[in-house]
Amino acid sequence: MENKITRESQMDMALSRARSENKPVLLDFFNPG
Amino acid sequence: MDTVSYPDKKVIEFINNSLISLRVRYDAQPMATDFNLKWTPTLIILDKEGKEHHRTVGFIPAEELIPSLLLGIAKVHFDLNEFKDALSRLEKILSDFPKSGSAPEAIYLKGVCLYKDTKNPKGLKEAYEQLQAKYPEGEWTKRAYPYRLL
Repeated sequence: MENKITRESQMDMALSRARSENKPVLLDFFNPG
Repeated sequence: MDTVSYPDKKVIEFINNSLISLRVRYDAQPMATDFNLKWTPTLIILDKEGKEHHRTVGFIPAEELIPSLLLGIAKVHFDLNEFKDALSRLEKILSDFPKSGSAPEAIYLKGVCLYKDTKNPKGLKEAYEQLQAKYPEGEWTKRAYPYRLL
C-alpha cells in the first residue's frame, strides 16, 4: 500500500487522469504557512 | 490536515483509490479566483469536466474525512443522474460511518435518490422517519419535514 497521497498540481493533468481513470477530482486548496 | 488527517493510512488508501487529488496553493491563479477561494483548507469535489459538486471549508479530522469525501462523490453521481452510483456511496457512509457528521445528509440524499430513481415517494418518507428518530433537532430532519406527509 502506498504511504502517501498521489497528487497532481495542474488542473489539466488532473482532469485528464479523471477521465482516463473514471474518478472525480479532489481539489485541495492549502496554505503552506 | 497535513499533520493529522492526510497521513492516516485509511485516508491515503481511500483518496488514492477513489479520487484524483489535485493540490494547489491558496493563491494559485486562475483557480483561486475561478473557485472563489476565501479560506483554507478548502476541499472541492469536481467531476471529470472540472465542474464543482461539493465543498468543505475548514479542518476535517481523519475519521470524518472519508465520509465527507464519499458524500462529495455521491453528489457528483446525483447531479449527473447516476442514482445507483450515488446510492452505493451513500449506503457506504451509513454502513461504515453511521456516526459521522455526513450521515444525516447522506440519509436525506439517499431518500431523494430513491425517489428520483424509482418515482416512489416511499424513500423520502423513510428518510424523514430515520432522520426524526436519529437526529430530531437536526438540520436535515427539518429539511425532510414535509416528507412526513407522503
